[in-house]
Amino acid sequence: MAQNVDPHYAQRSDNAKHNEEGRNNPNDSHAVTKRLQKELMTLMMSQEKGVSAFPEGENLFRWIGTISGPNDTVYETQRYKLCLQFPNSYPYTAPFVKFITPCFHPNIDNNGNICLDILKDKWSALYDVRTILLSIQSLLGEPNIDSPLNALAAELWSKPEEYRKHVLDTYKQV
Amino acid sequence: MTSTEQIGLNKTWELSLYELHRTPQDVIVDNTEIAVSPRSLHSELMCPICLDMLKKTMTTKECLHRFCSDCIITALRSGNKECPTCRKKLVSKRSLRPDPNFDLLISKIYPSRDEYEAHQERVLAKLNKSHSQAALVNSITEGIKLQNQNRPNRSRKNNEEQRGEAAGESRPNSENTSTENTQNAPSNTTNITASTTSTTTPPTTSTTTTNANPNPNPGLPSPAPQSGRSTPSQPPSPVSSNVSSISKSLGKRPKSNLTSERSEESESSERTEQTDTEGEGPSEPMTLNEIELVFKPHPTEMAGDNQLVKALKENSIRYIKTTANATVDHLHKYLAMRLTLDLDSQLSQTHHLLNFCIYISPTAGQYVQLNGNQTLGQVNDRYWKVNKPLEMFYSWKKT
Repeated sequence: MAQNVDPHYAQRSDNAKHNEEGRNNPNDSHAVTKRLQKELMTLMMSQEKGVSAFPEGENLFRWIGTISGPNDTVYETQRYKLCLQFPNSYPYTAPFVKFITPCFHPNIDNNGNICLDILKDKWSALYDVRTILLSIQSLLGEPNIDSPLNALAAELWSKPEEYRKHVLDTYKQV
Repeated sequence: MTSTEQIGLNKTWELSLYELHRTPQDVIVDNTEIAVSPRSLHSELMCPICLDMLKKTMTTKECLHRFCSDCIITALRSGNKECPTCRKKLVSKRSLRPDPNFDLLISKIYPSRDEYEAHQERVLAKLNKSHSQAALVNSITEGIKLQNQNRPNRSRKNNEEQRGEAAGESRPNSENTSTENTQNAPSNTTNITASTTSTTTPPTTSTTTTNANPNPNPGLPSPAPQSGRSTPSQPPSPVSSNVSSISKSLGKRPKSNLTSERSEESESSERTEQTDTEGEGPSEPMTLNEIELVFKPHPTEMAGDNQLVKALKENSIRYIKTTANATVDHLHKYLAMRLTLDLDSQLSQTHHLLNFCIYISPTAGQYVQLNGNQTLGQVNDRYWKVNKPLEMFYSWKKT
C-alpha cells in the first residue's frame, strides 16, 4: 500500500470489496457480455470505414465481421467475411477468428485460419473487435512471407500479376 | 507467425513539441466555469479492459497506465506479463500500485456510482433487446421512414446516423458529468489543451492523455489507440478547461461567450449532436484525430513593442493540442479566454484583447487570414500538409 493512503478511504474500500466479490469474477459471463455489448455499441456509433461487425443471430459470443480489402493492394475491390468466436475468458484471451470468405494470402490457410501474432501470444486485453479487424485488414496488404500458412501465396507475393490472379480466383462471394 | 511488433520494439518515446512544453497548470480559484465534454472525461476514467469506469484503480508503476484492480490482476494472471496498454514488462502485482487518489477523484465526479451503473445496465439491456439482426433492420427502416418524412433531401450520411441512434437506442446521456454541461451540450469534443513555456498555463485537463503518436497501423503495439498512453499527467480534475464558458468578472468580459458558442454549435451539423448523445458509452469516436499546433504572435502586426506581446513575454508562443474538428473560432475563444486569464493583473483594459485574427503562413512571408468556421483539420489539409506541428499566427483585431 502506498503511504499516502487516507485511512478513512482505505477502510471504505475494504467494505466495498466485500460487496463486490463475486461480481468481478473473471469467469462471470455477465462481465464478458457487458464488454461485448459495449464494443457493439461503439462499433455501431463509430463511422469506421472498411470494417464492420455484428453478432450473429441472438448469440452475443459469435460475431460476423466484414473487412474491405485495403486500398492500393490486390485485395482492394474485395470484401471478406470473417467469424469471431469469443471465449468466456474474453478479453483476457483472444477470440477465435477465421475467414469465411476464401482468401488467398500467405498467412491464411485454405480453411480460413489466420496466423497473426496478436490473436495468439501477442494478445492484449485492450484489443477489441475493431482493432482485430483493422489488424487483419492491414495484414492483407502486408503479409509476413517468412512463416506462411499458404506456401504458394508466399511464393507468388513477389509476382504481382500472378498473385492477383490467384486472389481473384480464390475469392468467392459467400 | 506474423508479427506486427517490430516497430513497437524500436519505438523511441520521443515527446512531441506539445509534450515538451506542457507544465503543471494553475488552479482556477475564482468562479470561472469551464465545461468539459463528458466524452473526453470518460476516456480518462474508463478501464480499457472492462470498458467500465475504473474500480479500485491500479496504476502501473513504470508506464503509469490505469486499470481496475480486478481487471489488471486477471490480465496478468492469464496473459503475458506486460502492460496491456503499452507492453511494458510487468513482473508481478508489485509492478502496480493502488491509486486511491484517482478513486477519490472519480467518486467526486460521479458521487452516486451505483446510480450510474444501474443506468448503464438499463441501457445495455435495451441494446441487448435490440441487437438482433431483425431489430436492427427494423430500426433502420424506421429511421429511413422518419427521415423521409422530415427531411426529404438529406444525404446518406444521415442515414447512418439515424441507424446508430435508432438501433442502439443507446443514449445514456443523462450521465453528463456536470450539470452545466448538460445545458451546454452539444459541446463537442473540441477541448483545447494547451501549455505555454511558463508555469502560468491553462488549467486544462481532459485531453491530456490521448496518445501522442497516432499510430497509423492499428495492429501495432498500442492496442487501443484512443486510450493509449496516459502521459504522467495530472488526472483530469473537475476544474478543467474547454474554451466555452466564462463567468469570471462578467463586468469587464463579454458574457456573450457562452451564448455565442451555444448558438454556433447548434448549427454545427448533426454529427456533433449525434456523437454527443452517446454520452457515456466507451464511445469516443476512435478515429478522432488530434492536431498539435504552435501559436505565435504575427511577426509584423504584433511586432516586439506591442503591448500584448510585451506583457506576455515568453508566453506569447502557445503550444496547443486539440482535436482536428476544432474550428478556428474555437481558437479565437481559447486565445481570448487564456490570454485574459494570464494577463489579468497586467492589463487593465482586458476587453481590448478579446478579438483576434488568426493567420497561417503557407509560404514564408505570406500570411493568410483564416475564417472562423474552418476546422483545424481542414486548415491543415489545405495550407499545411507537411508532417510537423501546425503553425499559426495571431494578432489583435483592429477595430
